[in-house]
Amino acid sequence: MPFSKSKIFKIAVIVLRVALGCGFLYAGYLKLSEPWQLFAADIAAYEVVPMWVAKLVAHTLPWFEVLLGLLLIAGRWFRTSTAIVSLLLLFFVGLMVHAKVGGKDISCGCFGSGEPISWRTFVRDGSMLAVSLFLAAMAFRNRRKPA
Amino acid sequence: MTGMRFLAFSLAALLPCLAAGPDADKGRTMGDPAAPMLFEIYSDFSCPGCKHLHEAVLPAIVLDYVKTGKAYLISREFPLNIPDHKYSRPAAAFAVAAARIGKYQTVSDALFRNQQAWASSGKVWETVAAVLTPEERKKVQALASDPAVLADVQRDVDRGTQSMLTLPRIQTPTLMITYRLRQHPWTQFTDYSLLRGYIDALLKK
Repeated sequence: MPFSKSKIFKIAVIVLRVALGCGFLYAGYLKLSEPWQLFAADIAAYEVVPMWVAKLVAHTLPWFEVLLGLLLIAGRWFRTSTAIVSLLLLFFVGLMVHAKVGGKDISCGCFGSGEPISWRTFVRDGSMLAVSLFLAAMAFRNRRKPA
Repeated sequence: MTGMRFLAFSLAALLPCLAAGPDADKGRTMGDPAAPMLFEIYSDFSCPGCKHLHEAVLPAIVLDYVKTGKAYLISREFPLNIPDHKYSRPAAAFAVAAARIGKYQTVSDALFRNQQAWASSGKVWETVAAVLTPEERKKVQALASDPAVLADVQRDVDRGTQSMLTLPRIQTPTLMITYRLRQHPWTQFTDYSLLRGYIDALLKK
């Protein structure tokens, strides 16, 4: 039975949504599995926020990533979750660019500690951003279309 | 099976001693070698961050973990090979030489306290000599050019370079925490509470 174009598209959206959700779930899990101080130190190394903000983010962001991952996998609040994930990833990639341009050889802090910012982290996070923007576009396009 | 378990336990118990190794000069260590954690501080006498660690953070580390028997501390030399730090290696050699006569702490305190002065003037020996007696000066000056002392400095550099491979870059100061057969590097020293929280979290694991 041949698949229609729209069906393939729908399957692709589901696969990408679940993959991105798993990525976020894994990123949150890795940060939660090690002492939060490591993530706080990684954030502080970017030198864009004061230490108290770094500590606050280190405490909250991993849980937020887990929540977003679960929402993406479950397909709930799709527009909101894809929009937030896109903004977050845009912010993360922006931070990495800022660090690299500033000549900082620091840990990315994306998937646990100890991973330096490199072309690999740019490709990975850039791909995640592209996927999330695509999903957000799909989510908002479907909103405009009558069911 | 019991024998294997005994061997594994013995190795784990011996780890801090093994990690400290025969190259760990007694004069550069502090605390109980049988402590569960091993702290190795890699620093460069010309580095401002190392001065901050030595003067503002290290006393707290010693008080909280070394004096309480939770950690064994080794000071390692890591003179960076960069133009601004051209006197770092001689400074490290003097410090290691001073360690041989039990004066490491005195000499390293003086080197960090007067860092800006000797790092720009190159008067390393004058800084070291000022805190030693005439007798000690003779010994330290002779030891500083001893191939064994220079080899000690190089051994620290090699060891540090190897340990820091897991970091985004080689940097000073670096605190290498060895606990339960695993090394945990730490490089953030602006907020001691963060480091203390991290060490406590490791100890709770």
